[in-house]
Order: sequence, then structure tokens, then C-alpha cells
Amino acid sequence: MSKTQSLHDSTPDKAPVVRFAMVLDLRRCVGCHSCSVACKSENEVPLGKFRSWVKVIEKGRYPDVSRQFLPALCNNCDNPICNRNCPVRATYRRPDGIVQVNQHRCIGCMYCMASCPYDVRYINPLRKIIQKCFFCDHRVDKGVEPACVETCLGRARIFGDINNPNSEIAQTLATNPVTTLKPDLGTEPHVFYIAADYDAMDPTSGVDINHIHFEHPF
Amino acid sequence: MDQNFVTVLYNSPHQIPLGKLLAQYFYLTGLSAGSFVVSVIAILGGKSEYKALGKIGAVVAPLCLVLAPMNLLTEMAQPLRSWHLMTYLPGYINLKSPITYGVALLTSYPISAIIYAFFVYTGNMKMSKIFAIIGIPLAISVHGYTGFILALGKGRALWNTALMPTLFIVSAMVSGIALMMLIAIILNVFFSKDKSQEAIAADRELIYGLGKFLGGVIIFDVFLIFNAVLVLLTSSKEAWHVAELLLWGRFAVDFVGIELILGSLIPLFIVFYPKTARNLKALSFASILVMVGIYAMRYTVVIGGQSVPLH
Repeated sequence: MSKTQSLHDSTPDKAPVVRFAMVLDLRRCVGCHSCSVACKSENEVPLGKFRSWVKVIEKGRYPDVSRQFLPALCNNCDNPICNRNCPVRATYRRPDGIVQVNQHRCIGCMYCMASCPYDVRYINPLRKIIQKCFFCDHRVDKGVEPACVETCLGRARIFGDINNPNSEIAQTLATNPVTTLKPDLGTEPHVFYIAADYDAMDPTSGVDINHIHFEHPF
Repeated sequence: MDQNFVTVLYNSPHQIPLGKLLAQYFYLTGLSAGSFVVSVIAILGGKSEYKALGKIGAVVAPLCLVLAPMNLLTEMAQPLRSWHLMTYLPGYINLKSPITYGVALLTSYPISAIIYAFFVYTGNMKMSKIFAIIGIPLAISVHGYTGFILALGKGRALWNTALMPTLFIVSAMVSGIALMMLIAIILNVFFSKDKSQEAIAADRELIYGLGKFLGGVIIFDVFLIFNAVLVLLTSSKEAWHVAELLLWGRFAVDFVGIELILGSLIPLFIVFYPKTARNLKALSFASILVMVGIYAMRYTVVIGGQSVPLH
């Protein structure tokens, strides 16, 4: 996959030197949830919240059944709607593609949470600000892989710079059929899935929407 | 695959961000914008019998708008950082966000509305007309921008339609007219002892006329809701699920029962049926029903729009 281009830019943007992305190879995922645990301990995610979690579904009728996994995290979009809607520019996109939240500017209006199509943002109940997955940018800046990638025992997660043709992620993207979540929204997500299940990617599949209870923070 | 063959074993949906307080904020700005527009129509209309109506609206509009941002502040997680919205420094403020222009409107509109009310009450017609003309675009955009807040919330099928700002402005007109009609009826029945019989009768004629106006705007509002629901039913899968929630699901009582039947159809019948159209009790009942119905509309749009899982 070559350099992606923003939807609303007719001129090709200045070639970014680095564009971080993640590939989730679900042929290798065993659904052990160790990425969720690693993320929680690395980023001090409060109780009941997840920056990265694994959705698990079962489908089919006995004896033709299977269990499918869908690890979920912030897609760090190229055209992030949270970034566009944040009134105080607390959410911004780093030149390397990571969508970051400035924790000292966030006013907690929760508009980004409401407009994110992937429901990856949460409000920290202790600090009262918006948080989400940042690809562990504090580790990436030091040259270490994100916690979930390092802990993944099946090596289902591949992280790296997609603009570097010698990186593992660029080669994986070039040689495998990949997909993203909700590509039709034009957000250009940069978390790619290999062998993701249709029903696991469908938010309303297997859900009785009349009986889901959504909490409100306050 | 068929829904019955899939079971979700584990998922981690987050909380819904915008709650009832935001619905209440939308409701109050709607009341304010609607009553301001009616007041301005009455003042610019020129006839002296309309003036009473103009005075009611001039008070109600700033009053509702002073209450409205309180809801926003309590809804925010960091209310003490709300000054971050008003720095207006390049690089610190996002001009693409509807909240940014909302903040500018929420500060300028009440000021112009208060000046307008001052000139209306001191009887300076020339200045009140000038501030009416300044206030009209502000009043419409202070409510229109709330529609944009929802319309630009890309992830939610119910919100992300081009119809949303128009729907919000029209429903604001509906609730504003209903509130003004209710206040006009209360003033007419309880607070007009020192007025002559002719003046009271003229006021009543005005209220009946307002009822007809309310009926017309309700018809337009119902037409827009019909359009929105029809498109939801034929659009994406998520949109279909929202329509399911609203029409026969969890929000059916709020949407079909309170908003459409109690809040639109019964008031429509009351304001157009000849026996009740000239009855103050029936009209005040209709205006209360309309206001409850519009509150239900704000509630279903804000909470119902977020009640479909995204993950």
C-alpha cells in the first residue's frame, strides 16, 4: 500500500516520511485478550474502560460453528472526524499519523466521542478527559513497539511504518487481502484486518438493539 | 448471515456521550429562537395590535437563552476549562467545529436579544426594528448550529443527514410559537383586568391567529420528520436499525406516542377544528402538548441516535 491521500485534498500532500499503521492478522489471533490486558497495564486505563479490546462472537449452528475474534482499537484515521469536530484542537493528528489528545486542552465536551464512528473513545472517570488508543506513542517515540504488539503471543499484530517498503507491515499489506472497518465513511482508517469476519465487523449483528443498555457518564 | 445464527460473546461498548442535559439545551435554545422569530415578525409586521406579542417574545427569548448554556456547562466533564473555547487564538481554536461557531453565537445572540428587548419595552420602534433585523439571522443560526452539531456527527445514522439543521429550526419555531401562545393566553385570562373589553377581544383574535400559524408550522415539521424517517428506512443497515428503534422499538413511546400523536396530531386537530380553534382552554392544552412533544423530539434525536451499537 502506497501513500494514502486525504479525501478532501485534491493536491497530493507533502509526502510524510513516516506513517504508522497496524495490521491485525486474524488467522493468527487466538482470542486470548492479552492485548487488552497489556494495554490496560501500560496506559493505566481505568476500571471498566478499554483502549483496545477483542470482540468475540460465535456463529453458525451445531455442528457447523466457529468462534470469531475482532480486536478493536483506535483506527488513527487519516481523515479523523474527531479531529475535525474538536472545538479546542485538543485532538490533533501527528505528522506520523497518530491521532493524539492533548490532555491539558481537552474540555470534556465529548463531541469527539459522539462523532467517532468506531466508538473507541472513552471519558476517563478519574481525570475527566477523553482518552483513546494512541498506538502507545510514548513507546513508539523511543523506538519500541506498542504494548499490545509486543505481548501478542500469536504475532497477530504487526506495527510499523507503511511508507518504508522494507518494513514488515508494508510487505504484509502488499501481499495480503486486507480490509478496514467502515471504509465507506471516508475516514481512511489505518488499522487493517486480514481475514476479519463479516458478522464480527457488523456492529448490529447478533445484537438485540432494543435491549442494549448504554450508560451515560454523569 | 441471519441474526439468529450469531451470538456476541464479548464486546466493550463505551458510554453514550451526550445525555438528557444536551437534549434540554437544544430544547431551550429552540424555545428562545422560535419565540424571538415570532416576536420579530410581530414587531416588523407594523400593526399596533401585534405589539403585545412582540413584547412577550422579547422577554422569553433572552430568558431561555440564559438558561440554555447552563446545561452545556454541567454536561461537560471539565466545566472550568470552558474558557478554552473563547480564546480565539489561531492554532488554539478549530474553526471547522460547529461548537466553535456555536460559542460565538451563544455569546452574541443573547446580547443582541437583550438590547432588542430594551428598545421594545422603551417603545423606540426604529431601534427595535434595527435590532430585530440584526437578531433574526443570529436567532436562526443559534439554533441551526445545534442541528449542525448533530449532522456532522458522522458515526450516527440518525444525525448524519442534511435535513437535521432544517428540522431543528422548524421544530424550534413550533415550540417557540407554542410557548408564546401559552404565555399570551395566561396574560389574557389572568393579567388583563385593567384592559377594556375591546382590547381583550383583540388579544384573543391574535391568539386564534397564532394558533393557525402554529398549525401551519406543525404540518411542515411533520412533513420533514416523515422525510427523515422514510430515508432512514431505505438507507444503510444502521439507519434501518435507528428507524426500527424509533418506530416500533425502545423509543416508539417517545417518538410515535409523544412526539407524533400527542405533540403533533392532537394539537393539529385542536387548532384547525372550528369548535376548539376559538377555545382558550383547548388552545392552551394544545400548546402544552406541543411543547412536551418537541421535548420528546429532542430526547429521541439525542439519545435514540446514540443507541445503536457502533462496534
